[in-house]
Amino acid sequence: MEEPGNDYVELRFGPRWTYISCVRKFLAGFFLIGLSDKEQAERISTAASELLENAVKYSSEENSYLRVAISRGRNEVHLLVENPADPEQINVLRREFALVTAAEPEAVYLKRMEEAARAGKQSRLGLIRIRYEAGARLRLEVREREVVIHAVFTLEEA
Amino acid sequence: MPTTSFASLDAQGVKVEARLEGGVLRLVMSGSLEARDPSALFDPYWSNVDQTLRRKGVKQVELDICGLDYMNSSGILTLVRWAMTAKTDPVYRIVIRHDRNLTWQKVNVPVLAKLAPAVVSMAIP
Repeated sequence: MEEPGNDYVELRFGPRWTYISCVRKFLAGFFLIGLSDKEQAERISTAASELLENAVKYSSEENSYLRVAISRGRNEVHLLVENPADPEQINVLRREFALVTAAEPEAVYLKRMEEAARAGKQSRLGLIRIRYEAGARLRLEVREREVVIHAVFTLEEA
Repeated sequence: MPTTSFASLDAQGVKVEARLEGGVLRLVMSGSLEARDPSALFDPYWSNVDQTLRRKGVKQVELDICGLDYMNSSGILTLVRWAMTAKTDPVYRIVIRHDRNLTWQKVNVPVLAKLAPAVVSMAIP
């Protein structure tokens, strides 16, 4: 990860669902200033929102927190969301990562939509949406009882 | 109990206004869908729309989402479920009118049309 420049923001807050919308709108506005690109700012804020929704749904309950950090390098934007998680949830996440990175994003998105429509309430579309809609490269980092999901967005040359 | 008319909806930050005009059901969505579990409200709503369309023999729905600022993936899934239900016995078409200036719409509406091409299409701008 490159050293952060001026286009850098980091937030840490309790895992309350109603904060997510507020954070999404803030990030979209913040990066609209730094990137001067509404579409890219929306892609990044959507990705952050989906990761935060997953983090609230699947993080462990006790002493929980969410940390979202976004920084802009010369050619890319780096987003990370960190939260505590149980070993069981970490394994679920590992399987999800394997599934959503197994093929081309559109093919996986369509397949996951069909599967999710047949399955229960949980959408499980968030990660593949980030790959497909936001065009981000995803990486999962597992620490002791903590997960960090990194999403990296390549910026087009001006 | 199934209803005999098309209901509107105003909940979870989203409005859906339903109007039957000239044999076409026009559904206009506005707001922002970011609820934790939108399926609890929207799955039964779309299911009721599907059943009423079939009962009344309405052949086309125009779903206007231009005023829908944002939809999370759980919200998108409710539209996916409706499209998949419509696809199993295709007797009506869903034409989606969307705003290409909203990134989530520009990217996701073509995917919905690809998922169920026999029943879902995009309105010509």
